Amino acid sequence: MSGMFVEVAPPTLPVPIVAPAAVGDRGRTARRLARRLGRGVVPYLYLVPALGMLIVWTYRPLVETANYSFYSWNLSPTQPATPVGWDNYHRLFTLPELGGSVWRTLLMIIGLLPFTIVIPVVVGLLSREVRGRARSFYQALIFLPFLVAPVASAAVWQWLLSPRSGAVNRATGSSVNWFHERWPALIAITGITGWHVLGFAVVVVAAGLASINSDYAEAASVDGASRWQITRWLTLPLLSPTLVFLVLSTVLLFAPQWTFPLIDSLTQGGPVDATTNVYYLLWEYGIQSFDAGLASAAGVVFFIGFGLVAAVLLWISERVTIHDD
Amino acid sequence: MTLATEPSVTEPAPPEGADGADTGAPSIGGAPMTNFDAPETPGGRSRTRVVVGHLTLAVLGLACIFPIYWLYATSLRRPNDVYEVNPLPWPLSVDSYRTAIDEIDVLRLLLNTTVVAVLTALGQLLTSLLAAYAFAAWNFPLKRLLYLAFVGSWLVPFQVAMLPNYVLLHQLGLLNTLSGVIVPNIVSGLGVLLLRQHLDGFPKELLEAARMDGRSSWSTLWTVVVPNLRAALAALGILLLVNAWNEYFWPALVLQRHNDVLQLGIRSFMSSTEGDDWGPLTATAGLACLPIFVIYLVLQRHVVSGFVRSGLR
Repeated sequence: MSGMFVEVAPPTLPVPIVAPAAVGDRGRTARRLARRLGRGVVPYLYLVPALGMLIVWTYRPLVETANYSFYSWNLSPTQPATPVGWDNYHRLFTLPELGGSVWRTLLMIIGLLPFTIVIPVVVGLLSREVRGRARSFYQALIFLPFLVAPVASAAVWQWLLSPRSGAVNRATGSSVNWFHERWPALIAITGITGWHVLGFAVVVVAAGLASINSDYAEAASVDGASRWQITRWLTLPLLSPTLVFLVLSTVLLFAPQWTFPLIDSLTQGGPVDATTNVYYLLWEYGIQSFDAGLASAAGVVFFIGFGLVAAVLLWISERVTIHDD
Repeated sequence: MTLATEPSVTEPAPPEGADGADTGAPSIGGAPMTNFDAPETPGGRSRTRVVVGHLTLAVLGLACIFPIYWLYATSLRRPNDVYEVNPLPWPLSVDSYRTAIDEIDVLRLLLNTTVVAVLTALGQLLTSLLAAYAFAAWNFPLKRLLYLAFVGSWLVPFQVAMLPNYVLLHQLGLLNTLSGVIVPNIVSGLGVLLLRQHLDGFPKELLEAARMDGRSSWSTLWTVVVPNLRAALAALGILLLVNAWNEYFWPALVLQRHNDVLQLGIRSFMSSTEGDDWGPLTATAGLACLPIFVIYLVLQRHVVSGFVRSGLR
């Protein structure tokens, strides 16, 4: 970490360290200063490309979004934006869509937790004895859906869940029209997203379990603890950092973001707005209704909201997790 | 994971001599057969758990893989057999692929997507490498703050930044172009993080030696650091490539009316056929996944560990 190029003494320049009183030294000190400044600039030069892109495409737009949220504008270059104060926020909070979309995002989060927490933990605990080649083979299969392009998965699931000829309805004898009924559509979007991310969670939990030092379990078993007691009071608490990470991913990434391509290609937020989550609402406001002000206000609210949720989750995790070290 | 280090060591002289069968060979063929509660229930129970483990993983694996299997199975049936439920597609036919290629020009989409994904990943790799090098090799004012800027970038979702970026792309004349898809994406906070972690573990003596030889930091980067970082760069590159290949939100925004990349081609296909043309649709989707699957097949371990280590995108 400590700067390798800084700590190494620079090859001593042929500049003798003399008393600065000498008059002719002024030019030399200036040159030395310039050289030192030049050296100081080097790390920034390496940073410029990445940092420049980050500022232009991430932080500048964040500030701009906050700015747009106080204007009424339809995104047209010829149309001037008119300042409207807090109107957009007022509208956002009085429209019924906001609450509904937050609620549906919450339902998606809850619906995803079995895929990102429950199944991976159960499977991880049940399969601890499987090792070596067999284990990597199974993991390779389970992980594969994580790599499937979201729209390709939308295509295959549209076929699997097709009302009359789809494999799911044929196998179960049901006649649900998955993407055209309110609850089935929400369940389908959540389930497909769950299928995508399950493999990732399984592999992450397996890695977490593998990193737990077995000395504790052995000591407990010597003390007469049962297998269930060891799991409940040792393994799960030691696994908690991994679980917090997965909850965080579910809340910030999987439920709001991974669902987006599926919603856009399968239900367009419908039927009515049964599958419109927060980011799809943002998309509708901005790109479909060209209401830049309202969309930006929603963007600011969601950014702050998710930031707070992340902070709270991290705070909780600091308090509950036990670090194994 | 070694839950198998034997209880007989910690527990003096267990009365059951039978336990020895297991304890004597803690790892038969790389798979340890014993575990910490073996003294109570030697032999059989532990084997039961191995079987249960295999069953669990096999069932889950099959469930995960089935939709992908069904995708390719449907795409390989003859057009009239698409509604068959026979799990084996027989006789095979590539008619669906032919239709897909004729109808939506899949090959052009494949080429476009490859160009976008490769250039995006390479750009991200390059900017990340330079930035990570700066963070690992120097101390400079504002270092922590600037690093935090990269770490914090994942908290700003694309959707929140989308309208200003859309306007800027419009001003630059990049809307509806492939460059418009690539340019805004050539920075990766994750890339900077991961490469910095690797570089921090890099033997400093090598850098010092390079300095003593009088090499510039630039030549040190390419002649000393990069050759030693090849594995990490490859793993990160694959990760970035997969992400770029599967990216949907940004292309959908930039290429609104043109469906120039696979992800959008499939979407327009889905809506235009009202989802009845299952053969060509599954063929297109199958082709869209194929390059990633091939990479996965060859480099499985690196792909999985890369994603797991990175966690967040």
